Amino acid sequence: MAVTGLGLVSPAGVGTELTWRGVCAGVGTATEDPALASAPVGISCRVPSYDADAQFGAAEAWRLDRFVQLSLLAAREAVSDSGLEPAHWDGTRVGVVIGSAAGGVATFESQHAGFLERGPKGVSALFHPMALVNMVSGRLAIEFDATGPNLVTATACASGATAIGVARDLLVSGACDVVIAGGTEAAISPTFVTGFARMGALSRQSARPSSASRPFDANRDGFVIGEGAGVLILERLDHARRRGADVRAKLVGYGASADASHVTAPHPQGRGIEQAMRRACTDAGLQPEQVGHINAHGTSTQLNDAVEAEAIRRLFGAEVPVTSTKGVTGHTLGAAGAIEAALTVLSLSRQTLPPTANLERLDPAITLDVVTGRPRPVATSYALTNSAGFGGHNVSLAFAV
Amino acid sequence: MAELLTNKLGVDAAELHPAATFEELDVDSLALVELTDIIEGQLGIVMAEGEIRKGATLAEAAQALDIHAAADR
Repeated sequence: MAVTGLGLVSPAGVGTELTWRGVCAGVGTATEDPALASAPVGISCRVPSYDADAQFGAAEAWRLDRFVQLSLLAAREAVSDSGLEPAHWDGTRVGVVIGSAAGGVATFESQHAGFLERGPKGVSALFHPMALVNMVSGRLAIEFDATGPNLVTATACASGATAIGVARDLLVSGACDVVIAGGTEAAISPTFVTGFARMGALSRQSARPSSASRPFDANRDGFVIGEGAGVLILERLDHARRRGADVRAKLVGYGASADASHVTAPHPQGRGIEQAMRRACTDAGLQPEQVGHINAHGTSTQLNDAVEAEAIRRLFGAEVPVTSTKGVTGHTLGAAGAIEAALTVLSLSRQTLPPTANLERLDPAITLDVVTGRPRPVATSYALTNSAGFGGHNVSLAFAV
Repeated sequence: MAELLTNKLGVDAAELHPAATFEELDVDSLALVELTDIIEGQLGIVMAEGEIRKGATLAEAAQALDIHAAADR
């Protein structure tokens, strides 16, 4: 399946080029976050500010939860980038699949606060239209007159990658010619963040926020919460060629698995993530030695990075160049798989691997070639991107140029 | 009310006139619930749910508000 358009909204920038430049610069984006003053961990990676009234109109902006706003910005960029024209397309052949872990939790929190304070009058009639997780794909359908299959995937931090895999299957089955696929998240709210802090999942290196997210580093101690959205326009190859589209890369493999082991901790031997990578390669008809790059899930937690690194080493050896862009963006949860899929497409089309920010000393237990310092030129046709989510979900996507 | 419609609900001020209905101004039933909440919060006038309908004109809604305001005095 062809990737013909990209849209990115991330802590590294609003827009694909700004995000790419940001991740290549390799500087962490985490800062102290005043909105998290009441939470045990007060740092986050925020999307730079944008003018919501100008983007959506004042009449609409206040009715859109931020997780939907971010997806709209990314989807508009992706559709425009693809050269497709929603005014003229057959919308019945266009699907929308978007992943999100949390949906409108910030709206949920504010409505609950209103309910406790003022009773039923404190709850807006717009609560559900703003907060329900599926409102994102519904809203994109309205935006682009996309009347084909429309759904949301929820596999926690693998949601965006799952969405791209499910979109691929909709194209393979013949249900769609085009799918607007991606992930979005805007869940940096005190209660939600506190939940992660109580689990022990967040980095406590608040004194130096920009270097707190340090995937594969010996001194990593958890992830930094981020927000953002990534959208890919996936298209049947014949459809893309017929209209002379610029094919950035091809999605050639999709592997998904469940750990069936523990609700949050990865399987101790990385059985699930290995199975997903293996399946993505088989699906793509790839031998492990053909894979020239892996954009890892690499969250900066002790467990994920150790287990994922070992699974990569077992399957591909220690020579394949690996990167985690979460050193720059933090962990954008349900958006991460889609943002990183788009970055993997760019890595292939530009033959450049972004570095892993804040990797000062590789964990001695990890034997991998992790790209660090500056972007690295590469000559390869195939790359994987991994995602894993609480619940035990694993996804690996294989792209080719 | 004109101020609430333009500032809070984003209705184009140029489109406001007494004979315009909420429907014509793209103020749907969800936004109307918000509007009655805002009116209650800012003006202290309590309107029943559904008292202002989408098909009502701004003049009719203003008249209803006046009646409430007079009754509350």
